[in-house]
Amino acid sequence: MVAKDFNLGGKIALVAGDSKYWSKYAGAALAEAGADVAITARNTKRLEETAEEVRRQGQKILAISTDTTDAAQVQKMVDQVVTEFGRIDILVNANELLLAKPFLETTEAEWRRVLDTNLNSAFNCCQAVGRQMLKQERGRIINLISCLAERGVENFSAYCAAMGGVLQLTRALNIEWARHGITVNAIGTGWMSETDQTGAPQEELLLKYIPLKRYGHPGEVGSLLVYLASDTTDFLTGQFLYVDGAAMSHL
Amino acid sequence: MATGNGTLQGKVAIITGGGTGLGKMTALLMAKEGADIVVAARRVGAIEQTAKEVRDIGPRALAIPTDVTDPAQVNNLVKRTLAEMGGLDILVNNAGIVRGQERRPLWEVTDEDWRIGIDTNLSGAFYCCRAAIKHFVDQGHGKIINVASGNGVRGARGDFMYGTAKAGLINFTRVLATTFAQENIQVNCIAPGFINVFNLQPEPSTRERPGTSPFIPVGRFGVPEDIGHLALFLASDASNYITGVLFANDGGGLAGGIAPTGYAPVIAMEED
Ligand SMILES: NC(=O)c1ccc[n+]([C@@H]2O[C@H](COP(=O)([O-])OP(=O)(O)OC[C@H]3O[C@@H](n4cnc5c(N)ncnc54)[C@H](OP(=O)(O)O)[C@@H]3O)[C@@H](O)[C@H]2O)c1
Repeated sequence: MVAKDFNLGGKIALVAGDSKYWSKYAGAALAEAGADVAITARNTKRLEETAEEVRRQGQKILAISTDTTDAAQVQKMVDQVVTEFGRIDILVNANELLLAKPFLETTEAEWRRVLDTNLNSAFNCCQAVGRQMLKQERGRIINLISCLAERGVENFSAYCAAMGGVLQLTRALNIEWARHGITVNAIGTGWMSETDQTGAPQEELLLKYIPLKRYGHPGEVGSLLVYLASDTTDFLTGQFLYVDGAAMSHL
Repeated sequence: MATGNGTLQGKVAIITGGGTGLGKMTALLMAKEGADIVVAARRVGAIEQTAKEVRDIGPRALAIPTDVTDPAQVNNLVKRTLAEMGGLDILVNNAGIVRGQERRPLWEVTDEDWRIGIDTNLSGAFYCCRAAIKHFVDQGHGKIINVASGNGVRGARGDFMYGTAKAGLINFTRVLATTFAQENIQVNCIAPGFINVFNLQPEPSTRERPGTSPFIPVGRFGVPEDIGHLALFLASDASNYITGVLFANDGGGLAGGIAPTGYAPVIAMEED
């Protein structure tokens, strides 16, 4: 449970992400704090399953199958959310497509897909939802990205470039919309996994290195999401905040 | 009765500099969520007043006169807290001071000015962490929240000691977080922007600031609740995977800062 002042009762949230992971965890955290939530994902069947899980928190849940790399689909989806719920208070951009391979083996098509999903989706959602938030003169945009927005890792060139793009979009939009009651922040997740990673050879190497000696669980991102989405953060904007068990702190 | 959700029920928090401003607001918001509060600073009247307001909310409160630049007084603060409150779970290093650097050339800054600036804003937090952290290690949990400043992230003209000490505090946070990650001790840092603390001061202050600012991206100064609520979030168990992180809460300033607020050119794309 979160402190009473962080309650999201009566708020409308939109989580644009993949159904397997972030839509589920981000959606559930916001709903648990009292928000009604719209979630999107491309995979329709899995999206419905995720919606069912999020619905267990007892709030109104709307699931809209959307390809967020397509601006027209995003606009349609946003219109539908506004028609159903009347407004959008919180936007969580959590579209993530992982790719790890040597730079020279990365094809142009792969590069484009990684940038499309991780970066251009955020562009589409910020534009369509931003228009609505500007009308409301109030809104919270939270870009759920990776700490690789700021650090390099071997074989992650496309992914790092895309994440860095979303981070800079966060900072620039913060400056542009600060006077309109819209805060724009990014959460950087560290090494996260739903399952225990002990055993896999590359993962052993990593686990030895990170200060907490364990992966984070995606559910551990929820409390910061809720705090940032709450009414207590009018002054907190343009920031990149990590949920990473000190991974970004150490040398 | 505490009126929150009880997320800090049964926890004991020390808040240095808790007699005024951001520290006082932090004390009151944590008390609302159920925490028992120890207020530590030099002015007895101010810390007694905060303690009284905490008790009015519900939880227990103790005012312990402390100069954080004196290690013996800091050790005593922690000792008395453990003895009289029966525990310690949260340490907020909020005591801080801007002094002796008001638009002076560097060559006029005295040894004493430098010493006080570094002692209050950096060494004080070190003394408090040193005194408390063994207890945190032994009990297997603890929360440390350091209050730094945007001046510790970027250089402010003529701000020699304060900004330098706060920068030290920011990296001290990272070192502690890394060192004690496995002991389940979370250490985070808050960098407030310009926060108007005037309304909370017990006596009239010369630091009154207007409500709006053309320089801050959001267009206004912050209020103490902005910082108090962030400290509350970082003190709760809900944030246990968050450690070593700098939370600037500054109305957007640090995300920009390369051009003045209001600079918004329009340049058309030229294809050749
Ligand atoms: N307000 C802002 O805009 C702003 C911006 C950035 C950072 N901050 C930081 O936020 C923190 C709180 O500041 P504030 O704005 O709330 O101002 P404040 O009301 O002046 O609070 C500072 C507190 O520190 C205490 N203190 C100073 N020296 C001390 C010492 N040697 N031992 C123990 N306590 C000491 C003071 O109490 P006594 O004098 O009674 O000891 C006072 O209650 C400070 O660390 C400050 O640097 C504030």
